[in-house]
Amino acid sequence: MTGLYAIIADPLVHSFMQRGLVVAVLVGTICALLSCYLVLKGWSLMGDAVSHAVLPGIVVAHVLSLPLIAGAFAAGLSCALATGYLKHHSRIREDAVMGIIFSGMFALGLVMMLKVETDMHLNHILFGNMLGVTWRDVIETALIAVPATAVVLAKRRDLLLYCFDEAHARALGLPVGALHYGLLILLSLTIVVSIKAVGIILVVAMLIAPGAIAFLLTRHFERMLIIAVIAAVLACVIGTIASYHLDAATGPCIVVVQALFFLTGLGWNLARRTNRRAGAGLETGTNII
Amino acid sequence: MIDLLLEPFAYNYMTKAIWVSALVGAVCAFLSCYLILKGWSLMGDALSHSVVPGVAIAYLAGLPYALGAFTSGIIAALGITAVKRLTMLREDAVIGLVFTSFFAAGLLIVSINPTAVNVNTIIFGNILAIADEDVLQVVIIAAVSLAILGLRWKDIMLAFFDESHARSVGLNPDGLRVLFFVLLSACIVAALQTVGAVLVIAMVVTPGATAYLLTDRFGRMIWIAMAVGAGTSALGAYVSYFVDGATGGLIVVLQTAVFLLAFVFAPKHGRLAAWRASSHVAMGPKP
Repeated sequence: MTGLYAIIADPLVHSFMQRGLVVAVLVGTICALLSCYLVLKGWSLMGDAVSHAVLPGIVVAHVLSLPLIAGAFAAGLSCALATGYLKHHSRIREDAVMGIIFSGMFALGLVMMLKVETDMHLNHILFGNMLGVTWRDVIETALIAVPATAVVLAKRRDLLLYCFDEAHARALGLPVGALHYGLLILLSLTIVVSIKAVGIILVVAMLIAPGAIAFLLTRHFERMLIIAVIAAVLACVIGTIASYHLDAATGPCIVVVQALFFLTGLGWNLARRTNRRAGAGLETGTNII
Repeated sequence: MIDLLLEPFAYNYMTKAIWVSALVGAVCAFLSCYLILKGWSLMGDALSHSVVPGVAIAYLAGLPYALGAFTSGIIAALGITAVKRLTMLREDAVIGLVFTSFFAAGLLIVSINPTAVNVNTIIFGNILAIADEDVLQVVIIAAVSLAILGLRWKDIMLAFFDESHARSVGLNPDGLRVLFFVLLSACIVAALQTVGAVLVIAMVVTPGATAYLLTDRFGRMIWIAMAVGAGTSALGAYVSYFVDGATGGLIVVLQTAVFLLAFVFAPKHGRLAAWRASSHVAMGPKP
């Protein structure tokens, strides 16, 4: 038991580990909440697109010495808006348009970075640098992540109705347009604050996996939110501590732990289904899948 | 001036980079025509990220990188199929979940063995420093794929877009689909060398989308896409000589720029044509 205690406690002696964990938990929570909506709405690719598209915004903000967060946010949101515009005005499918826009913006960011003398480390933007955050970064993260979490929680029912059944939401008089853009803005903000922790390449995983895990375990939406947050926070803590012991990159560790959670959830789900089928004593395959 | 423009061709590695990029760009563009029309763009992204752990392991074990990449791509595709069948999750969520997990696993392997594999080579490609045996792999993949596509493109088209008709003329749509995905995985492995894992999606989507805006005929669409793919890839590699690198980024920026030009100026499906048409309507029919 002391061995286990030491495994967990040893890394926490270092203040960089403490800061990293705080950031991981803040980011994990808001990503997990949003992932539930994205998984239900079929917007998984949107997270992918927006996260890649922020790169040129970061570079431009750096050149103009604006806050990087502002540049990233503007670029991410314009990717989402440009996708909508091109989709409505051409005969190309949405997924293809999204792929074209985000890969183009990401490539533009890469090319711009060549010509910009910078102290920014490309790999830190791509993969995050959770163990290198300062207390200032922690506060900045909290200033965005906490209000965003509060908004999602306060509006969770409206967002759910919008994601599940847009026509119904409209019929009930909900401001569908505001919810659509609100969700996009929340998504962009979340990706922006996650860059420091997990980087733009892996934030996609944080925006899909927790919701998918929770989806396996419950059919009740409020419970799904809770399970997703618990899974994400646990994965962040375990992944961060594991990365300390393995001397490996933190972001990938967290994502791999989430993937293991998903596999466990899948196994549990299958076992429960088999049990139920055995208990019923007859073939009930029809309504299960 | 002319001397400066011709300077890249004086270097062996530059000419090699230019023609290898053009070759890869052409094959990927061929495949992109099918992906665009079938709505499978996400598959290109998923496969390109999923091959990363295979590449990392292959480098560590000293195996040919194409072998590792191909194996891990196939495992990911099987994983996607299995999870989709076992759960009620949406397809895009399943694909996203599997490919990000594979990608993260690859990065984890690389970060534990940072000296053996250069992560940036996998993620961004490094065509300017491509080794001769890698050139050979790429050329074999591209040549075989082009040959098969050249012979079977009509069959694949029929199998994808009119399955019952394809069956009635004695084709095997499932077999052709498998063939197509094997070709796609192989070409993505080849494209990793030029633009890297993150930007492969552009190579297998953008040229096809551009061509789709310019023509209504599938045969012509393939030619346009291949011209766009090969042209932008060669030009991107050429320009990268003058800016010292970022070959993949330049290729994809060029492809996006060509796409946007087509979006505005395409004779029939472009925005200008649409504006002109709507202003005619506003003025009413001419007597």
